[in-house]
Amino acid sequence: MDFSLSREHEMLRDMVKEFADKELAPRALELDNKREFFWEQVRRSGELGLIGVINSKEYGGTAMGHLARMILIEEISRVYPPMGFFHQTGNLFMYAVETFGSDKQKKKYLPALCKGEKVSAFALTEASGGSDAAGLQTEATGDGDYYVVNGRKMWITGVEPADFVGFVSKTGDKFSVFIVEKGTPGFEVTRREETIGLRSLPVNEFALTNCRLPKENLIGEEGRGLVCALTTIATIGRTGAAGVALGVARGCYEAALKFARERVLYGKPIAGLQAIQFMLADMNVEIEAAKWLCYNTAWQLDQGKTSRDLAVDIARCKLYAVDVANRCAYRAVDIMGAYGLSPEYRVIGLLRDALELGVAAGSQEIMRVTIGATITR
Amino acid sequence: MGLDILVCIKQVPDPDHFSEVRLDARTGRIVREGIPAIINPLDRNALEEALRAKAKVSGKVTAISMGPPQARKALEEALAVGADRGVLLCDTAFAGADTLATATALFCAVRKLGRFDLIFCGNETVDSGTAQVGPQLSELLDIAQVSGVREVSYTGDNTLEVKRVLEHGYMRVRLKLPALLCVTKDTNQPRLPTVQSIMEVAGKEMITWTATDIGAPREHVGLKGSPTCAVGVYESKSGRRREIMQGSTEEKVRRAVTRLRELGAI
Repeated sequence: MDFSLSREHEMLRDMVKEFADKELAPRALELDNKREFFWEQVRRSGELGLIGVINSKEYGGTAMGHLARMILIEEISRVYPPMGFFHQTGNLFMYAVETFGSDKQKKKYLPALCKGEKVSAFALTEASGGSDAAGLQTEATGDGDYYVVNGRKMWITGVEPADFVGFVSKTGDKFSVFIVEKGTPGFEVTRREETIGLRSLPVNEFALTNCRLPKENLIGEEGRGLVCALTTIATIGRTGAAGVALGVARGCYEAALKFARERVLYGKPIAGLQAIQFMLADMNVEIEAAKWLCYNTAWQLDQGKTSRDLAVDIARCKLYAVDVANRCAYRAVDIMGAYGLSPEYRVIGLLRDALELGVAAGSQEIMRVTIGATITR
Repeated sequence: MGLDILVCIKQVPDPDHFSEVRLDARTGRIVREGIPAIINPLDRNALEEALRAKAKVSGKVTAISMGPPQARKALEEALAVGADRGVLLCDTAFAGADTLATATALFCAVRKLGRFDLIFCGNETVDSGTAQVGPQLSELLDIAQVSGVREVSYTGDNTLEVKRVLEHGYMRVRLKLPALLCVTKDTNQPRLPTVQSIMEVAGKEMITWTATDIGAPREHVGLKGSPTCAVGVYESKSGRRREIMQGSTEEKVRRAVTRLRELGAI
């Protein structure tokens, strides 16, 4: 078995690390505290080719694949999780269009998204929650060459700045996925939710009121929307959330290790105390385990396996990486004491981000349901 | 007609890990095992300047490095940001080279590669900091060279004008090509590779040459060809001496000034 990264993946990791450390890190804490996002760095991410790694070259992507995406989200989230999460949510729409959309849609939407000139969001969740996808109430009714849509979506990341939003709606007794563009009459962002983690990124509620969408805005076939949405959320959403979690865990570990080496107590650094070493050792082991779960799943996607083949693998990596991020964040706060709780340091922000990841792209319990139902079959 | 541009790069221990670097007391050399390696930071400025020259005047950029097999990674990184070709000089015969033996190996490789209009080097390296390899290479090639370069202007007609940093100011130097320039960190901001350019690396030319391949006489390269000999290494200790002056503010200042004069500090 060869677990080494390819040279391309190694160089990608080094490049993203330098980008994150030099261009994102200096403003990460300030932006998190101000609840503002680093939008100018979206264009920069596009220039570096980071946004379209899973999209084909034909549509402006680089087709480097899912492992590349996992690595870049991890490296970015180590210093600025909201930008990592931007790649998680932004890629949802891009994947749905590339995998299920028409050639016309791919040409229209993907190149500008890959360049970071436009941004997108993808919406499933409603007031009733996101776990029961079939329970959603938004409804589209055919009217000649149009659909008329009515409904309301909640807890959707990045709708406010999005130029294009993909969303799931009922069409009769089945479901379909549509594209609504910014400025379409009847489409209105109605609220920015208060969130405790990933605060840089807006999380929104939006309403569709007699919103007329041309039939060409349907992604894939009418009535096949749940397949499109659930495949997209598993392949992109869950793996992306796992990548962010991995980065958060590493950010906590690195901050705690640095602090422990520098903080002198009883005349020597606290890194020499076994109570501290035990916590650092646990973080070190769990991060390594989470990393290989995540890399293995992403690598299998690159080998052509589908989210259906990998349902358990994907659930496992999201569940474990997010749990590890939470445990690492708590331990880092413990090691750093009052500094760990101060908003002037980044660890408390990472703990809040880790908590937020628990509900992203399917709750931890839904991951357990997926794994549990499969292994007891 | 474009320029043929060469960039000399060296793989060095990552300065972020300098605290882990050890010196071998017997050989006087740096023990690099286990320390992550990077392209010498100023060599990235040199590479960036070469890429800008290519963009401005057109041409081809070759990156060259002498080192162990893992130095290939530094060249791959150079290809990832836009160099067209990599040349690795890799042979146990090159091991233990001082600056002159390194410049000699590079000279032999340049002779084999052909003529270059412009050669860029980093002004010095972070691991040894001699700033000698570039000037020595230019002497061996018998071409003009400027060290401490902060700005390069292409004035046409095979002529360059460069700004050379001095201790208290700068000097403008006009020179004819071919020339070798050793650049400083203020020359430019080195670019990052892109995902696209990283994926193009595998399709670019990478040459590996031994001492025999470049016709380098073994007695002139590596340890054998190195007139420099480290007679010993030691870790320098630095610390602060503290003295507290007593009395009124005026007395304390007077005493402090007297003491500083005694110590030759002012």
